Amino acid sequence: MSDDKTKVTDKASEIAKNIWLAGVGAYGKAVEEAQGRLEKAMEPPKLFRDLVKAGTALEEEARDTTASARHSVEERINRVRENFHNQRPARIEDLTALHKKVDHLTRKVDKLSKALTAQSAAKKAKLVATPARRAAGTRTSANKPKSPPAKAARKTATTAKTTAFKKAPTPSKRKA
Amino acid sequence: MKTRDRILHTSLALFNEESEASTTTIDIANEMDISPGNLYYHFKGKDQIISELFQQYEQAINHTLTAPIERPLSIDRGGAEKNWYYLYVVLEEMYQYRFLYHNLENILQRYPDIKRGFKRLMQLKRAALYSICQTLLEQEVIDARDQQLLGLADNMVLSLTFWFSYEALLHGRRAPQITIHQGVLQLMTMVAPYLGDDELNFYRDCESIYINMIAETE
Repeated sequence: MSDDKTKVTDKASEIAKNIWLAGVGAYGKAVEEAQGRLEKAMEPPKLFRDLVKAGTALEEEARDTTASARHSVEERINRVRENFHNQRPARIEDLTALHKKVDHLTRKVDKLSKALTAQSAAKKAKLVATPARRAAGTRTSANKPKSPPAKAARKTATTAKTTAFKKAPTPSKRKA
Repeated sequence: MKTRDRILHTSLALFNEESEASTTTIDIANEMDISPGNLYYHFKGKDQIISELFQQYEQAINHTLTAPIERPLSIDRGGAEKNWYYLYVVLEEMYQYRFLYHNLENILQRYPDIKRGFKRLMQLKRAALYSICQTLLEQEVIDARDQQLLGLADNMVLSLTFWFSYEALLHGRRAPQITIHQGVLQLMTMVAPYLGDDELNFYRDCESIYINMIAETE
């Protein structure tokens, strides 16, 4: 019984499909043109040779246009594909390729930064050595030797003054 | 460029930017800085201009739509994405003649010739999208039953045909790339439930691009 049912539905879908396709079959401009040609062919025939010539010319023309049309469609599909690929987001293949590139770059950066740290360490060592010496030099040349003589001079001056002051009144007193 | 071609070019630009209904032949002549008489020498009225523009459009989109019917765009499962890029191609082509889609009912009522051509175009769109879906099914990119496949193709044609007017109603005027991209995303949303995990990548990319585009405009 179920077998009959499937047979019925099969037949129904077959009919539906035929109806659908019949619509599609009616599209061709070619069909119309062929009908037109057929009607013309019913007219009293001209020279047989002329008809054959016209027929081959038509056939060749048709073959040429379909070939070039096909080519142009393929060409346009390729253009669209290229455009699409430029706009689409990354896929897994793209990502793995990108990962590899990033890994490679990371290794390079690591190498470079190692080299850089080594270089900067060497520079630091140099930099540490020079300011120490310079600092030591200024301290000895500017502060230490300059101030004690000044102090000494001031001291001698004051002592001289005081001695002079001390000394001075005595003779004036003596004079007075 | 010849005056005749310039007329067609200017008309298309005005129809797309300003709407076809409100553009007159006088507007077209003014825009081009030629006399209405000069325009009349080349085209006897707006009808002629529109029917010629439609012919141009029909020829261009016919070529595009027949491509997947004649031969599958993708050879195997790995190349399935080609079909999605193809949707951009179709929408870009439609966008160039968007004035038709913005005012479709009105234009089809006023120009019976265009109506006939447009009906043909709709069937060609159905055939193209059905072919794509069929190929994807054969290549095991999507998993659907036949009846679902027909429904899917019809839904896609429906969205494709009315996308521009729907989008304009919802968002007003937006940058062309956003309109086209969101159209593709919308179509992909319909296919997505039938896709396996592998094929969802494109859909997810499509989504992210859209989010980025919107973020950039804000």
